[in-house]
Amino acid sequence: MSDETLTLEQRKRLQEQVLVKHHLANILTHWFNVAMWLLLLPTGIGILLEKTYPASSTAWNDLMRQIFGSTASLIYWHGVWGQIWIAVLTFNIFVGFRKYFLTFASTRMLLDKDDLRWLMIKPWHMLGLRKHVPLPPQDAYNAGQKLYSYLVVIGSFWIGLTGMIMVYSEHIPTSWQWVIQWAMPIHFLSAGITFAGVIIHVYMGAIFPEERQAFFSMFTGKVNGLYAYLHHRKWYLRKMAEKAAWEAEYRRRYREPAQAEAPQASTAPGTASADAPAGD
Amino acid sequence: MADIKKYGFVIDPRRCIDCRACLVACRAEWNTPPGQTRIWVHTDGPQGIFPAVTQTWVPVQCHHCEDPWCVDACPTGATFKREDGLVLIDEEACIGCGLCVNACPYQVRFRNEVTGKADKCNACFHRVDRGELPACVATCIGGARLFGDFNDPESPVSRAIKDQVVYRPITPEVDTGPMTYYLSPPDASAVQVSPQPRKDLPAEVFWRKWAIPIVKVAVGATFLGQAGAFILQLLRGENEYEDGAV
Amino acid sequence: MSDQPTERVPRLNRRKFLQAAGLAGTGVAIVGSGVGDIRRAEAGGSVGHLPGSYADKIVPTLCEMCVWRCGVRAKVIDGVIEKLEGNPDHPHSEGYLCARGQAGLMMTYDEDRVLEPLMRVGERGSGRFRKVSWDEALDYVADKMLKIKENFGPEAMVFSSTHNLSQPLFENLLYGYGSPNYGTQRSLCFNAMVTAHLLTYGIEEPARRYEGMNYIILTGRNLFGGISTSETRALMQRIAEGAHVVYLDPRFSETAAKAAEWLPIKPGTDSAFILALIHVMIRDELYDKWFVSQYTVGFDELAEGVQDYTPAWAARITEIPEATIYRIAHEFAENRPNAFAHPGWRTSNFINSFHTERAIAILNALQGLCPQQGDCMFLSEASVELGKPPQPGYPPIRAARLDGVPWKYKFVPPKLGVFQELRDAILSGEPYQAHGWFIARQNPMMSLPERQKTRAAFQKLGLVVVMDIIMNDSAWYADVVLPEASYLERYDPLHPVGRRVFLRQPVIEPRGQSRSALWIYKQLGERLGLGDYFQYEDEEDYLRQQLKPWTERLGITLDQLKQTGYFEVPDGYEGPTYRWDTPSGKVELASETLRNAGYDAIPRWYDPPEPGENEFYLLTGKVGQHTQFATQNNAYLHEVRPTNQLWMHPSKAAERGIANGDRVRVTSPAGSVEIEVWLTEGIRPDCVYLTPGFGHESRGLRKAFGRGAADSDLHLTFTDPISGGQALTQTFVTVEKV
Repeated sequence: MSDETLTLEQRKRLQEQVLVKHHLANILTHWFNVAMWLLLLPTGIGILLEKTYPASSTAWNDLMRQIFGSTASLIYWHGVWGQIWIAVLTFNIFVGFRKYFLTFASTRMLLDKDDLRWLMIKPWHMLGLRKHVPLPPQDAYNAGQKLYSYLVVIGSFWIGLTGMIMVYSEHIPTSWQWVIQWAMPIHFLSAGITFAGVIIHVYMGAIFPEERQAFFSMFTGKVNGLYAYLHHRKWYLRKMAEKAAWEAEYRRRYREPAQAEAPQASTAPGTASADAPAGD
Repeated sequence: MADIKKYGFVIDPRRCIDCRACLVACRAEWNTPPGQTRIWVHTDGPQGIFPAVTQTWVPVQCHHCEDPWCVDACPTGATFKREDGLVLIDEEACIGCGLCVNACPYQVRFRNEVTGKADKCNACFHRVDRGELPACVATCIGGARLFGDFNDPESPVSRAIKDQVVYRPITPEVDTGPMTYYLSPPDASAVQVSPQPRKDLPAEVFWRKWAIPIVKVAVGATFLGQAGAFILQLLRGENEYEDGAV
Repeated sequence: MSDQPTERVPRLNRRKFLQAAGLAGTGVAIVGSGVGDIRRAEAGGSVGHLPGSYADKIVPTLCEMCVWRCGVRAKVIDGVIEKLEGNPDHPHSEGYLCARGQAGLMMTYDEDRVLEPLMRVGERGSGRFRKVSWDEALDYVADKMLKIKENFGPEAMVFSSTHNLSQPLFENLLYGYGSPNYGTQRSLCFNAMVTAHLLTYGIEEPARRYEGMNYIILTGRNLFGGISTSETRALMQRIAEGAHVVYLDPRFSETAAKAAEWLPIKPGTDSAFILALIHVMIRDELYDKWFVSQYTVGFDELAEGVQDYTPAWAARITEIPEATIYRIAHEFAENRPNAFAHPGWRTSNFINSFHTERAIAILNALQGLCPQQGDCMFLSEASVELGKPPQPGYPPIRAARLDGVPWKYKFVPPKLGVFQELRDAILSGEPYQAHGWFIARQNPMMSLPERQKTRAAFQKLGLVVVMDIIMNDSAWYADVVLPEASYLERYDPLHPVGRRVFLRQPVIEPRGQSRSALWIYKQLGERLGLGDYFQYEDEEDYLRQQLKPWTERLGITLDQLKQTGYFEVPDGYEGPTYRWDTPSGKVELASETLRNAGYDAIPRWYDPPEPGENEFYLLTGKVGQHTQFATQNNAYLHEVRPTNQLWMHPSKAAERGIANGDRVRVTSPAGSVEIEVWLTEGIRPDCVYLTPGFGHESRGLRKAFGRGAADSDLHLTFTDPISGGQALTQTFVTVEKV
């Protein structure tokens, strides 16, 4: 993505800047999720028999059963991993509810006017069309990522809930058996649609060249300033303002002379540390 | 392992005296919870008008069908048909959803109130595997319940149906190949053992009609979309300087 | 005792299942253990929870769910009895058990078991007891019994118990103590059958043989409801092979459903039917002339006596068509020797039931069913003689029996007695006042007619002791309850059947403080100063003394017996031979004994009473899932037969506005009960039927309490003057919608 308002010099300076996008906790949670999806998806598809519900393949059904020894242990491990997945996520939410989850929710799930406009323009860009229409500036997460957050949050909620229903089905009275009966297709539907989102997420995050910085940031936690400026300008500017405010405060405290740094001054308020990640 | 077994039951209602030893034996063998049972002795109150009265009792258990609908309905394979014909439930693979209970045209399945799992007659496979008879058959005083290998012409079941008029509990609509042969002609009691046509539960319909197609379309569309974008990306090439990736 | 399981383990864990299935360590069903068979259940993996047939050990013993005493193989897992199987070695079970036998383990694991000795603290019938030690309970009972003996004489103690293997020791207790008053339930059951056959053949309980039989007349013997495993199987086998069964019963029972002919005979008229068969057989000379001339006495008198009992006459009385009676007589005779009339079992129906039984005994004699003495089908195989501990003779008995045997009921053997007569004696104090009642394994509160009379008799006694395994209705009213070990927890004396001798042995240790009858009788006997009648150290010592002759002759030991469950004496052993133990040494068609006592020498027709305009005969009978009054609280049997209903014909119900399932009030002169009605075409319109055994009033039986109604609330006491049998069908009731 190019922006003609930037001089080459500015680009180079921006490229040298390093911004922290993800905390370690964030990174670990992400890769934990990846690991769990890698365990749960193949086993989940393996459980569901093709001959009964044609959403898998008999070869896969058999392979999974061979690997795990039996249907029962396949289901058992799918349930164990699922519960670990649910437990860790739930733990994260409850432990870091104020610090992480609310920030997460506000930075990743609140859509503003720019986001809506972005959503209208971005698909054309991806198809290589209407390139002349500029994208509105985005915060730490663009509108597409925000939409994906909805999918992931809602999908995970239903996957987890229905999964727990099935794992603990023997405690559900027979008069409530319909709950188990509905849990199965809902589990399947939630996982399937979320997985459809995951396909986009993986492509956009790992393969799509413009977002390569984002991909590396899932390992290092860091992005360069150019990427941040081009893709998440609102966030970049806010971070710079935060940094400037912090530096000003530092100098005031230690009586050092002021020195402007940011390419564009900002009056954004904020006392948070410049190292603070944009959100979870 | 030369010959494959084909297990099944032969029931002679004429020899059933409604003593219910089979019901108790089954309960003792499997500790079935109170109020639930794996096998039955069906009875229609005496037929006819005094003093021309008749009465038949019809022992019933899982028919271990050749084409079992319960197996088709089980999403996980927790219920399955063994090579020798017995339809069994792997309790640990069962999540007690009850789709098999609904699918069985003979209503011989139920959800065990204690285990929360699907439950039914398994022909005491553990006894059969040791060369014994199922608990109900082993203690049937009247000799109404027989069990054995239909592939063995010398088995009690093969001998019992030889040259006999047999009645299988099937209808033109429902024929799951029940492996129970009744030795007396159907009478009013047989109504209770006639199979019922299948009615899918709303969740099953939702699953088949909606959940699976939606997921297939969603996953397929996104995959194809991203694959397309990837191809475009390859065709277009990358600009390492432009994208700020370096 | 704390490590003993109190309930059956509802679900055993996987590990145990695998161990039991022999799969532990194979990795077949261990979760996540690696590659295995997809269908691990094919290898016997975890499919369902642990079934009873996986046993750590299998113990051969004897059933006691009824008096048939089938052989049992008890399967035990971790000290819990998990399953009972019929023992193929035992001729009474032939590898099969009925519903009751299959459910036997739940008798042991009944949550309402009495597991400690109890002494009453509240009013009689309040059900308030305190737990006491065996010493306290036995000391109290012995002290009271000794005081009764001292103050009123030993005859003031009544003892009652029922047909069981420890009966000889019970008799030691009662006769050693010196009381003549011995109550059994037999007068409520088969007194008529026994006395009639004693007087005809000199045989107490005629054996039955089905092999080859083509024509069988069952006079109310509902073998498919009142199940005796091997006999029931034999009859069904004959029916399946085409035997013709004629079944007489006012009610369409399980046997009626399987019989070739169901004859809904008018209640109380069976003897007319049989007499008419005899009439036809003699008139048409269909009987076995050779046998009659060789081995019977009194034929001429019989022939003359039955002259008037024509099929036409019987048809009017029995409401069975004349032609049918005629035909059956001919068919019966034509099928000789493969035809017999079953002597019946519970024959306590009308005060003319003795004549019915005599007529059946004679009918079979005319068939020549005993071509020679040694080959009479009614003679049981001689059984093996056993040793027993030494014991002194009993003290002489001076007092008369309260039940009128023999001073009022001359032909009733003392070991049968006339149970229902006891209460009048207790209540009236005639011929003398009783003060105590020791009841072992019996429930007179339910079994005797007129329950209110039994209750009143209890209240009049200073001591009521009940020995049982559950808090039965009589125990509920007792002063002391002695907890007996169930039949799966104790030894009993050996049981010879033919040339085999069977052992009842404990499958598990007795639960709680329960003890065997052998132990309880000995303990009590010693406290009563009767130790000489109980000369054994413990149960095993008793059994060793019984075995002694065979240990000496064949080297049989108790330890061997525990493994095998029985031993068989080799061919060539001659047991005591049965013979026709009658005064004439022959089959007595006419009985001088009866004549001399002032009764009819040959069976005669006596009109039984009939119900009034709006009344019904109240029939009683059996179901295959319960034994008398003792099994209704058994969880498994409760499951298959939880209650009783009043059978009624729809036509009579319609007249009263009663619909199926309605609650009705049944009233007799003795009392009234409320019960659900079941309308059926399978009963004579002039009859109603109630399965006995329900309507328990002991709150100590939580499953059975309040279920159904008790016919003992309705039955009046009528005693057959010859056999002493209670006439259970002679009570007439009215039925109205509640």
